[in-house]
Amino acid sequence: MTSMTMHQNASNHSMKGLLWLLLCLVALLSLLPSLRLLFSALVDWRQGADSSLWRVLNNRATWVALYHSVYTSGLGTLISLLLGSLFAFCLALTNIRMKQIWVFLFMLPMMIPPQVTALSWLQLFGSNSILLNSIGLAPEFGRVNPLYSPEGIALLLGIQHAPLVFLALRTQLQCLPKEHIEAARLNGASLWQVFSHIVLPLCRTALWGGATIAFVSALGNFGIPAMLGIPISYYVLPIYIYQALSSFGPSMINEVAALSVLMGILAIAIVTLQARMQRRYALPLIGMAGRSLGFTLGKWRLGIEVMMGLVLFAILVAPLLALIATSLVPTMGVPLNSDTITFAAWRGVFDVQSSTWRALTNSMVLSVSAAMVLLILSLPLAWLLVRYSSRPLRWLHSMIDIPYTLPGVVLAIACILLFSRPLPILEISLSGTLTIIFIAYLARFLTVCLKPVHSSMMQLDPAMEEAASLAGANFSQRLIDIVLPLLAPAAFAGALLVFLTAVNELTVSALLWSAGKETLGVVIFSLDESGNKVLASAISVFVVALVAMVMLLLSALSKYLPKGVIPWQS
Amino acid sequence: MSKKNALAALLLTIMSASAAAKSTLNLYTSQLNDDAQMTVNAFEKAHPDIDVKWIRDGTTKLTARLQAELAAGAATPDVLLLADSVTMESLKNQNLLTPYKSPQTARFDSALYDKDGYYSGTKLITTGIAYHSKAPVKPESWNDLLKPEVKNMTTLPSPLYSGAAQIHQAALMNDPQLGWAYYEKLKENGAMPQSGNGAVMTAIASGSKAYGVLVDYMAIREKAKGAPIEFVFPKEGVSVVTEPVAIMSNSKNPEAAKAFVDFVLSPAGQQLVLEQGFLPADASLPVPQGFPPRDSIKLMPLDAAKALADTEANKKRFSDLFGDR
Amino acid sequence: MAELKLEQLSKAFGDQTVVRDINLTIPQGAFTALLGPSGCGKTTTLRILAGLEQLSGGRLLLGDKLLADKMTHTPPELRDMGMVFQSYALWPHMTVAENIGYPLKLRKVKGAARQKQVMDALDLVELGAYADRSPQELSGGQRQRVALARCLVSEPKVVLLDEPLANLDRHLRATMEQTFRDFHRRTGATFVYVTHDQAEAMALASHIAVMHKGELMQWGAPRDLYLRPQNAWVASFIGKGSILSLAIAADIQHLDNQILHGSFSHQTPYAMQPVLVRPEHVQVADTGLSARVESCIYQGERYLVDLRLHDGQQLTAFHHSALQQQQDICVRLHQGWRLEAA
Repeated sequence: MTSMTMHQNASNHSMKGLLWLLLCLVALLSLLPSLRLLFSALVDWRQGADSSLWRVLNNRATWVALYHSVYTSGLGTLISLLLGSLFAFCLALTNIRMKQIWVFLFMLPMMIPPQVTALSWLQLFGSNSILLNSIGLAPEFGRVNPLYSPEGIALLLGIQHAPLVFLALRTQLQCLPKEHIEAARLNGASLWQVFSHIVLPLCRTALWGGATIAFVSALGNFGIPAMLGIPISYYVLPIYIYQALSSFGPSMINEVAALSVLMGILAIAIVTLQARMQRRYALPLIGMAGRSLGFTLGKWRLGIEVMMGLVLFAILVAPLLALIATSLVPTMGVPLNSDTITFAAWRGVFDVQSSTWRALTNSMVLSVSAAMVLLILSLPLAWLLVRYSSRPLRWLHSMIDIPYTLPGVVLAIACILLFSRPLPILEISLSGTLTIIFIAYLARFLTVCLKPVHSSMMQLDPAMEEAASLAGANFSQRLIDIVLPLLAPAAFAGALLVFLTAVNELTVSALLWSAGKETLGVVIFSLDESGNKVLASAISVFVVALVAMVMLLLSALSKYLPKGVIPWQS
Repeated sequence: MSKKNALAALLLTIMSASAAAKSTLNLYTSQLNDDAQMTVNAFEKAHPDIDVKWIRDGTTKLTARLQAELAAGAATPDVLLLADSVTMESLKNQNLLTPYKSPQTARFDSALYDKDGYYSGTKLITTGIAYHSKAPVKPESWNDLLKPEVKNMTTLPSPLYSGAAQIHQAALMNDPQLGWAYYEKLKENGAMPQSGNGAVMTAIASGSKAYGVLVDYMAIREKAKGAPIEFVFPKEGVSVVTEPVAIMSNSKNPEAAKAFVDFVLSPAGQQLVLEQGFLPADASLPVPQGFPPRDSIKLMPLDAAKALADTEANKKRFSDLFGDR
Repeated sequence: MAELKLEQLSKAFGDQTVVRDINLTIPQGAFTALLGPSGCGKTTTLRILAGLEQLSGGRLLLGDKLLADKMTHTPPELRDMGMVFQSYALWPHMTVAENIGYPLKLRKVKGAARQKQVMDALDLVELGAYADRSPQELSGGQRQRVALARCLVSEPKVVLLDEPLANLDRHLRATMEQTFRDFHRRTGATFVYVTHDQAEAMALASHIAVMHKGELMQWGAPRDLYLRPQNAWVASFIGKGSILSLAIAADIQHLDNQILHGSFSHQTPYAMQPVLVRPEHVQVADTGLSARVESCIYQGERYLVDLRLHDGQQLTAFHHSALQQQQDICVRLHQGWRLEAA
């Protein structure tokens, strides 16, 4: 029995009206780009066998690329799950020391562009490797680097998206009622048994949520398969679509749109699966957050800490060191020593006239405003999706994922198709403004913010709102006094995630930017492409440092923020 | 007295306002960021009444953006400065370009510009062989990359992603000494494609590959900064992209566009190209630092129209050869 | 008098009818229990009273004010009722004092007045020292008391309780039962208490509505339900006892020793009727009906004995000392109650 009658009891009509308006806005944001692409894909269907859609579907290469995408993303998701949950469980359930620092450090790899991690690993295992050269194990020219393989791609995808799983899980683990675990331990269960029989099943919702977002991110990832897949001609869908872009002729857009439709269908399939799984496993955990748990690890503790340290070294410290080293040399390939060290690149970064500074401002403005708007949007949206739960709404929910799954370049094309001409009625042209990038970001990252909030909402005991109702609260009072504060931690975690993802975002803004409106991702990428790795590295390091500072600032302000907002503070 | 002053001030303002009324020129270019800024700055200095708004991106993304804007019926740029003539041929075939025979082209080799005036090359960017300073063999010709001593050590930019690589492939296939068989032998010798010239550069500089097919300026420029990389113009010859400039057919400011074309082809514009480190199209100018004398560089001929027609077939051949795993 | 009237109340979820034609008048200020096994519809009925579910048919009135029928539905926030949930439903982001103060805040009671009422409520449940704690730090019993305090601070006319003691241990339950009684006496509100524990219902309530499969089986005082159950189901649900099939006259309900023993002889011309015999009315004696002991369970204050009569029927009895299994004894039946045929 659900409390579906709650919505029928709403006495505040203006609030209800606002909610429906919100729903329309969200529908527009998520549906418009997808529909425009669908239109493009189907527009020449009358040509039958010659139409773009048919050509695309008939081409064996399309299906091969699809298979490759699913394989690497699937394997990568498993790795993300493993890594992310390892860290989440260790940090939430045990008595590991210096928890806050671990969490903080684990979130940073998301800030490093995936190509950089790939490159630094390639270098680590390549013939120029400082590490291997010093132990004399450096391979010579001509040996094939094992990273150039589907498994290598999956490994790097897994590492890149592990923090997403970590965050999803952590929010849930902090709400685990302590009584469940205490009951099991009183019955003589060992740490391992408690973990696999109690904790793991209770976390299924979060695991499914985290796995989905990791899979979808892996599907749309361009940088890693570009770096590791192109040399071995192992193509995944985003790369394949990018190839299609370089064809000549006007039908190119239609073919690209057709391929995107394929990716869109894949996204819907994944999300539908996830929704079904979440419905099956969602338990209205009593709305009490348990006290934080502390399994004592005894003699295992040092071993686990060392292992976590090694993992962090590999995914964070090594790439970061590589980046810093590269930013201090005159050009790539010059060994770093006291003769060659130069700060020219860094001077370039801080030059206020430079495009770097402009890009920094643009990216900051875009990411922060997107994060804020999405936070405000996802709170009532999550409430609607859970309490109303009708079939049309479930369809809408799965559509929200599509702008995120589609390769950024495709979403950009959709936005160009939609917004290049001046908007009807308002007669303003958005082309070439920051606004068009902002709208693209809203469409793309809504699902990133919504997922944790939605998971949280599903766990919210309906009795919370019912009790408020009987205490005399009307609809809007219930939403504001009870639901919003309880969802706030998840919402802030979602907003933080949006910020972190958007600040480094590349593929969408790559086609939407214009003079003076470039983003950090665009600047770094074009520097990379033109061979100026030094300046690109310097900017990357700068971004990582900046984001780390923002996170530290949040930590310092933590006592003014609601509990649980900052993921790395318990 | 004050009324007169006020009137004078008003008149002055109006006059200066109309004088300051600049016309706008929209430019899409695939030059590098700093180079584009340099070019735009120099042009605006020479033509203070024109305000240039420019976007810089890789040719692929730029043409994708262009096509999308065309499909949406939105406004497009006035003038293009894109990597290669094959792209220009394609745009010409779609009736997107307007011919303009600039008086400046008289100083150039006729191979460098379209005879009807649809596009004109501005510089010579050649593709040769770059190699790590620690590489075992110093190559002098394309065939040196086929030697067994250098097995698995070569990388090249993929024509599926890079316009320059497409042209390179077309030029090599046309050469009787090399042809498609060259690529087949290259693959047998373990060559690996990369997404673009930047990636090839990184691969060599970082030491993961010893040899690479690379554009000249990248290797020479980085070598000057101390990178462990060398560049050679192979004996058989090098392929060339000319980074042509062209005016779009629905340009809103054709006068300014023409002025821009004239500028980049003028002695001043070509001097700029030299300073940026490229081989200017104007043969009367010297070569940049690090380049061998102009006459020692053998250019491979290219039929742009034929290359355009063969593009899809060539790409498929490359894709099939280097394997769909 | 603001009595709570349920007229033909029914509720269906899809094509499954969960509550069917309940007719009930709960007197004002009464402590009523809705008693029944799981799935009988008692919680649904409570939620209909609260306004958390919409009824499918019938009417609900408080005094002469119509709260709900098929056309209208007064939302819970306007019904002036309080509710104590099984899961306590304390808001984790508020302190204990803020939880209790929330209904007052909604009624725009501010500052010192609100503070005083909250502290008064806390003192009543003896949790004055916990005002600034968060609910997570409290034990189950303490949380329940806070929930109760929050419910009563707004002085509602009707207090609804949904199995509030289900999660507490036996000793705590006894204390809380006393707390409920005190509060009922003090506030004079109408209490509607949902439970599946008949001992609890009988201890607390002045009126009990026994429900089974969505229907009202019987409505009355605990003693009536115990001694004079309406049918076999109620008889077996409330208290312990045995239902014997005896040949007796159909017009008498209250059966004495003579009639009971008389029915065992084969002389009577009457048809068989179900008869309830409570264990306290069965006495192990030297003479009487013959029976065999099947089991004898120690209960502390006495033994619970399962017997089988000579005609094969089962009988439950109490005894002060242990009896051997398979022992043959005699029993006397002092009282019985004829049940309506099912």
